[in-house]
Amino acid sequence: MDWQSWLIGIVGRALAFGTPLLWGTLGEIYAERAGVVNLGVEGMMILGAFSAFAVAQSTGHPGLGIMVAAVVGGVAALIHAFLTVTLRANQYVSGLALTMFGLGLAGLLGRGWEGIPLRQPLPDVTIPGLAKIPLLGPMLFEGQSILTYAGLILAVVLWIILYRTRWGISIRSVGESPATADALGVNVFLIRYLCVMFGGVLAGVAGGFLSVDYRPSWTEGMTAGMGWIVIALTIFAAWDPLQAIGGALLFGALYHLSYRLQAWLPPELLKLMPYAFAILVLAIAGLGGAGRRRGAPGALGVPYARGEK
Amino acid sequence: MRRLVASLFVVAVLGLVGLAAGNIKAGFIYVGPIGDYGWTFAHDQARQIVDEEFDWLETVYVESVPEGQAGTFIDQLVAQGCNVIFTTSFGFMDETIEAAARYPNVIFAHCSGFKRAPNSATYMADFYQVYYLNGLMAGALTKSGKIGYVGAFPIPELKRHINAFTIGVRTVNPNAEVHVRWIYEWFNPAAAKEAAEALIAEGCDVFAFTEDSPTVVQVAAEHGLPSFGHYSPMYDFAPEYVVSGQIVHWEAIYRDFLMKVHDGIYNPTNLQHVDYWWLLSQGAVEVGAKPGMVINPAFEDDLKAVVVNDPMLGEISVYDLVMTRLHQMGDPGVTYDPFQGPIYDRQGKLRVPEGCWLSADSLVTMEWAVEGVVGPWPGEPTE
Repeated sequence: MDWQSWLIGIVGRALAFGTPLLWGTLGEIYAERAGVVNLGVEGMMILGAFSAFAVAQSTGHPGLGIMVAAVVGGVAALIHAFLTVTLRANQYVSGLALTMFGLGLAGLLGRGWEGIPLRQPLPDVTIPGLAKIPLLGPMLFEGQSILTYAGLILAVVLWIILYRTRWGISIRSVGESPATADALGVNVFLIRYLCVMFGGVLAGVAGGFLSVDYRPSWTEGMTAGMGWIVIALTIFAAWDPLQAIGGALLFGALYHLSYRLQAWLPPELLKLMPYAFAILVLAIAGLGGAGRRRGAPGALGVPYARGEK
Repeated sequence: MRRLVASLFVVAVLGLVGLAAGNIKAGFIYVGPIGDYGWTFAHDQARQIVDEEFDWLETVYVESVPEGQAGTFIDQLVAQGCNVIFTTSFGFMDETIEAAARYPNVIFAHCSGFKRAPNSATYMADFYQVYYLNGLMAGALTKSGKIGYVGAFPIPELKRHINAFTIGVRTVNPNAEVHVRWIYEWFNPAAAKEAAEALIAEGCDVFAFTEDSPTVVQVAAEHGLPSFGHYSPMYDFAPEYVVSGQIVHWEAIYRDFLMKVHDGIYNPTNLQHVDYWWLLSQGAVEVGAKPGMVINPAFEDDLKAVVVNDPMLGEISVYDLVMTRLHQMGDPGVTYDPFQGPIYDRQGKLRVPEGCWLSADSLVTMEWAVEGVVGPWPGEPTE
């Protein structure tokens, strides 16, 4: 086994496995940048996965499935936004409830849809020309999902919006100090609503990717904890869309390697590797930025009520 | 928590719907969701079949019961009037025995365990013969000489299956290897996918697996490679690539057990030695890509083209060998077993002496790996 095929395998799989993680993480970054933690990612993802599959299977259009998944994810997030922004409920409790609700509802609606292969999965794309480049071609441009490329482009766009536009300043200020933003005339409630819903849209797409592309079929509980990895990656990426690319790819690569390396290293140890690595990096980051919360929005998790304090 | 709430809800609803006439009310406790298209799905399909067959039978179920919480749900099922209770996960074993002591008049049956009581039997439908038959086909189909196997947990059940599979592979292709990767979960489609991709990257070109979803079949088909379905019929997921597979028929056991309870042959005092270890000949398991299709017709010619020399049967095509062995193991009066000595483990130790078969006890406690298995094998005996 030469190093080139190793590299192609690792990068190719990192991109594939990293895609749903990247979409989910980008969405959670926006919600949290506006100051709202949403632990409901797993629930929104599974609802997206089911609705994408059901629509794609019924209509034969996987693209339509993804779009519906985005809407469903957004609507699910709207529940969270209403509870936490308008009613000022505890964000952690509401998010957990959303996850349980999503898993339960998708499981219930999904009865009878399991055990059926999707008749038309989202086609893989190979970029003509670029795929011919030695090494880089097969690594990056062969047989990947359209959503992989879309996710990478989206990350760049979201970074630009967050750091280079007025909208970005508004979002960040709402997450840092909603009272100040409010005093300056920023509509805190609207921005929080929009960011949470946007997070849901991206989580819905992430789930849709799983059921119409990554593994084109529906099974109850098929997100299998990916939503929680997204929560960890959001912190890991220091709430930065560009760093989210690195985090998602790194996690994807480690996940792939945890199976590739089983021939040489104990599988129990490898199974831990991606998670142990995440803990290690978080710990190091925590030590390095002692005192500062390393990119965490100042008002994260705190409901905002006008006129208090 | 979600599962708990969902389970309570199902219990409540079914309790209300229930209460129709019928002198056996059987309760099923499932470890997973009935929509997993794997273990729990198969048990629930069987429940529905027997429920329809017998008008004296009524069934209820609770799904997604965490191991360690079965006792509470057993209490509820008994309170609802269940007089037969099936617990369908190894992890429910001790709770089942405890409940059997609590309710001496209720009949219990625990799946895949080894502890029994006067009112608690055990049952299992095992696939090792089927894996051997799949292995024969896999050995004939591999071009690279490397076959991939995605396993859930390194426990005796899987080790027995992988060994039987490998014995089949090496019967046809003495130099072929079975490369194993463990995912440490019964159900995790993403893990199964990445494990399969890792095996493909290492050159494996035929696949078998133990995981409760059709993921490995789908991944193999994406790469144009043949595979074997597991647990439920998976032919439809890749009609051109699913060669055969393992299909379970729990209804065979449930039917027999419930009829004997109904006829008074089983009662809450005589189950101490009732242990179903049902295989091909009892119809509890089936080899095939889907029911009734032992070998996918797309692979018939390939399997007929490969000829092996069997000491007893002489020159024989793999296709005919599979059919012969299926009859030898499937007909009443079994005349063949995959674990027929001499069998050496991969460290060179003789595990089954010439001319011997393994006892059921040796099969259910198997930890060693046969020659030809490549990859990690946690718990491998060192002596």
